[in-house]
Amino acid sequence: MRIAWQLIVAIFLALNAGLIGGVDSRYAGDVCASALQQGGTLFYGLTLSPSGIDPHVNASSELGIPLRSVYDTLVYRVASSPEETAQQFVPGLAEAWEISQDGLTYTFHLRRDVKFHDGTPFNAAAVRANLERIVDPATRSQKAVFLLGPFHSVEVVDEYTVAIHLSAPYAPLLDGLSQVYLGMASPQALARWGADYQFHQVGTGPFRLEEYVPNDHLTIVRNDEYAWGPPIHAHQGPAHLERVVFRFFTDPAGRAIALQAGDVQVMGEIPPLDAVRLQQDGGFTIVPVPIPGQSLGLILNTQRPPLDDVRVRRALLFATNREEIVQTIFGGFSPAATGPLTAATFGHIDLPAEVVRFDPDEAARLLEEAGYVDSDGDGVRDRDGQPLLLDAVLMTWGSLPEVAQLIQSQWRSIGVQLRTRTLTYPAALEAARTGDYHLIPQNYAGGDPDLLYTYYHSSSTFNWTRAADAVLDDLLVRARQVSDAAARMELYAQAQKRIMELVLLIPIRDPVNLNGVSTRVQGLRFDAHGWFPILHDVRLQ
Amino acid sequence: MEPLRCWPRVWCILRVDPRFRAGSGILCLVVLIAVAAPLTASYDPLAATPVRQLQPPSIYHLAGTDLLGRDVWSRLAWGGRLSLSAGAVATALAVLPGSVLGLLSGYFGGKLDSLLMRAVDVALAFPTLLLALTIVTVLGPGLAGASLAVGCAGIPRFTRVVRAATLGVRYAPFIEAARTIGCRPHRILLRHIAPFVADTIIVLASLELGYALLNIGALSFLGLGAQPPAPEWGLMLTEGRAYLSVAPWITAAPGCAITLTVLAVNLLGDALRDALGLQARD
Amino acid sequence: MLVLVARRLVWAVFALWGITTLVFILLRVLPGDPARTILAASGASETAIAQARAQMGLDEALPIQYGRYLWNLAHGDLGRSLFSNRPVLVTIAEQLPPTFELAAAALVVTIVLGLGLGVLAARYAGSWLDRVTVGIAVLGVSTPLFWSGLLLIWLFSLVLRWLPASGADSWRHLVMPAILLGAVGAAPLVRVVRSNLLTILQTDYITVARGKGLPETLILLRHALRNALLPGLNLIGLQAGFLLGGAVITETVFARPGLGRVVVDAILWKDLPVVQGTVLLIAGIYIIVNLGVDLISIVLDPRQRET
Repeated sequence: MRIAWQLIVAIFLALNAGLIGGVDSRYAGDVCASALQQGGTLFYGLTLSPSGIDPHVNASSELGIPLRSVYDTLVYRVASSPEETAQQFVPGLAEAWEISQDGLTYTFHLRRDVKFHDGTPFNAAAVRANLERIVDPATRSQKAVFLLGPFHSVEVVDEYTVAIHLSAPYAPLLDGLSQVYLGMASPQALARWGADYQFHQVGTGPFRLEEYVPNDHLTIVRNDEYAWGPPIHAHQGPAHLERVVFRFFTDPAGRAIALQAGDVQVMGEIPPLDAVRLQQDGGFTIVPVPIPGQSLGLILNTQRPPLDDVRVRRALLFATNREEIVQTIFGGFSPAATGPLTAATFGHIDLPAEVVRFDPDEAARLLEEAGYVDSDGDGVRDRDGQPLLLDAVLMTWGSLPEVAQLIQSQWRSIGVQLRTRTLTYPAALEAARTGDYHLIPQNYAGGDPDLLYTYYHSSSTFNWTRAADAVLDDLLVRARQVSDAAARMELYAQAQKRIMELVLLIPIRDPVNLNGVSTRVQGLRFDAHGWFPILHDVRLQ
Repeated sequence: MEPLRCWPRVWCILRVDPRFRAGSGILCLVVLIAVAAPLTASYDPLAATPVRQLQPPSIYHLAGTDLLGRDVWSRLAWGGRLSLSAGAVATALAVLPGSVLGLLSGYFGGKLDSLLMRAVDVALAFPTLLLALTIVTVLGPGLAGASLAVGCAGIPRFTRVVRAATLGVRYAPFIEAARTIGCRPHRILLRHIAPFVADTIIVLASLELGYALLNIGALSFLGLGAQPPAPEWGLMLTEGRAYLSVAPWITAAPGCAITLTVLAVNLLGDALRDALGLQARD
Repeated sequence: MLVLVARRLVWAVFALWGITTLVFILLRVLPGDPARTILAASGASETAIAQARAQMGLDEALPIQYGRYLWNLAHGDLGRSLFSNRPVLVTIAEQLPPTFELAAAALVVTIVLGLGLGVLAARYAGSWLDRVTVGIAVLGVSTPLFWSGLLLIWLFSLVLRWLPASGADSWRHLVMPAILLGAVGAAPLVRVVRSNLLTILQTDYITVARGKGLPETLILLRHALRNALLPGLNLIGLQAGFLLGGAVITETVFARPGLGRVVVDAILWKDLPVVQGTVLLIAGIYIIVNLGVDLISIVLDPRQRET
């Protein structure tokens, strides 16, 4: 009996010692770090564990967050507001460039002082090797190749001059070349590592990839030779931080907890309610970053009844109370969307109330006009004995399940029944291919409104609206070929209006990435594409 | 050889066992609330009233409201129907085929027995959750699929245990006597063997209900079970996780509900087992 | 005895083969086309998809695919992930250590808690301590893992700030997950140890020991425990299955890397080679653990050798 009690007391004491010791050492660590201005390790929280992190191959924005600092691009984009008539591009790996009169040839004059992390020099041949890899069908590129548009060939003019030839004018090319997916990798490393390249990536950026263990962590370390930063960096020369360790937090519930517990100093995609709470905690700030590109919304399958009737589609649009969704689920942190582009995107326009508004009475009237009445009193409208039942495919990001539930409730009040299925991305793609959906979401971030072509042009593989409107097609084709920025903006304004008049989309909100940042972190900014942090200038206190 | 079960005596033992009283009391309460959901729930579980979101428990909302302003208590009551029926179906699915297979295998022996036990051994080499996960992959996400998968994953365990119980009775003199006078096998099985094996089946079934509820909840947690907006308890738990610090009642309510129900079932099972005088089995 | 061991080994091999076949069949029954899902994201044409199917060997007859699969398996080739194109073996080698760490730590907790509390309950059988212990054990089995995990995180990471909420860098990251998994796994063990001990404590030779005047605790630990351990050993083997299944949930709740999450993601994404490889591995470990438990109990218990 005594033995038992002694054992219990001993264990209790040991536990206390361990816990106190543990707590102490963390505080000790903080004291040491406050003296540092140069160096240090930053812990950064990622929210998705992508199946692959090769920027030439994979499409997730998650991979870009660490890799944006591993690769440089030919040009960099400076954030432009929707009202500016030009997107600004500043030199990156290319010091200067010319565009031919016919818009088919872009000639880049490259910097001469750039070296890859493995010591090989960066030159025109490297650019060619990269672009050819991207367009090679064997690479199975999911995004980079689309950014190159009507790419025809690349030509090495001389050691530091390279020309890209297109088969049709393509105004969004510079925007594509400024994205991490077209970052320049070392041809030697590409050749050497082949299929395993994503674990041994070599770029020219201010950090180099040290290690990637899927689902666990990704570490990048400072490149001390870095001396060719673009003008968007606040200082030239090597980065301040010694090392950045990225860890994965796929579970939204754990993100704010990890941030507050000190597991990371920066965390992306904090859920809105946690963000409200964090703002009240003095040790953290919330940095909301509006993401240019597609708004979060549900694309409508215009070929599947009853959505083939534009009145039904318009009724659904008018029945959706977007403000309520934004307030309830997103805590008012992001604005409600009125069209296919977010308010932060170049070329965005606010659509007039005749086209997009919350008007449940009008919605009910439209449904009646289309012949849907509640004949059996079960709360769901029907026509010819068929209930007005819709089927939505959902995915787990963007709080879509919660949004869908609120929409279900809103639509029920006008007699529409909505059923949902939450699928993984491959399964959703399969459903999209077979047309087995009424509503489906898509998420695409990008600075150039040409993304509308990918989703709304009738010939595109991702045309999930399955619409074929000649007017819209024409607008989208012309907008990508015309080089005058003001003209492009006008065309996109018309395109957005057309999309919403045809009600190809039910827009919900503009994605805003809520980043939780510890006050120890100084100098963190995000680039013009929204998702990607500029880690070069970050200091740790 | 134990005498035939004397049910009145079993009932006397059970009546005074505190575990039986607590367990059956809780279970009856839960089932009542679930079955009488139209009466016990004061709000529509699917009606979202965002203006009342994330309210703590009060006299208007016994368990508070969730993100979309839905009354958590009402969702709990209606969800009880879903969770309990899914659990019951899964248990029935494990018990019935499992018991039948076990009886047949134990009684007839021979090639059928060998083959079946090899298959059961193989299936038992799987952790149950993984087996259920794999089956759910084939069936696709959904409460029905999850129910089916968990049920199927429970069949091997039942087969093994019922077979062992059958073997214990198989060679008893009175069974041999019945065979000698020419009783047909199915009559022997039903009238003579089954009553002895029934004890084991009852106890195991009660435990299985507990496992089923937990596993179905786990599948919903992983996104493979009930789909939104169904107020199934496991799904409610998953949905409420993101708001744990802001509104813990959204998770606490279904968490407590699952725990209490499974606890009640386990207590019942324990009391039954002791009253029926059996050894603990896994 | 050698015959016994040999028989067990043969059964283990057979069970392994059975698992691979079972998984192979189940996953081939899946609707959907792996080639299409990989290529769909890059907008590939139908001919490209057909080519990829041929390349992956998806058009061949099932028996041929099965044969090829077994052949590769015998050579240690578990295939490559459909999405990341990494060898499955490499992924497993990477993700095994954290899961193993968790399972081992949880097993230690299970044994310590299970034995400790079981002995305690038996020693003070009938008292309030006994009832409380058994009550806690029953509660442990009834609470869903994912909920108790969240409660632990809330208490120890958010409120008290003693322990980290996620990750796997230091021993401190292991504390909560291991204790959670271990404690829930210990619950059935407590009951078994307790009841076995109680049965043994009533046997004759224990009465003799008491008659000799030995202190109760000594009797318990030196004489009774050894015999009570055997059924407990069996249970530990079965608990390995629970641990492996529970690791899936625990790894998700605590955001730990490991095989559990790999397998769930692979199942969700229908990444067949990864599912086959990890399921095979997990089942293999389970079979080996049980084999070990069987062998140990054969060594410890002379009665079994006479079978």
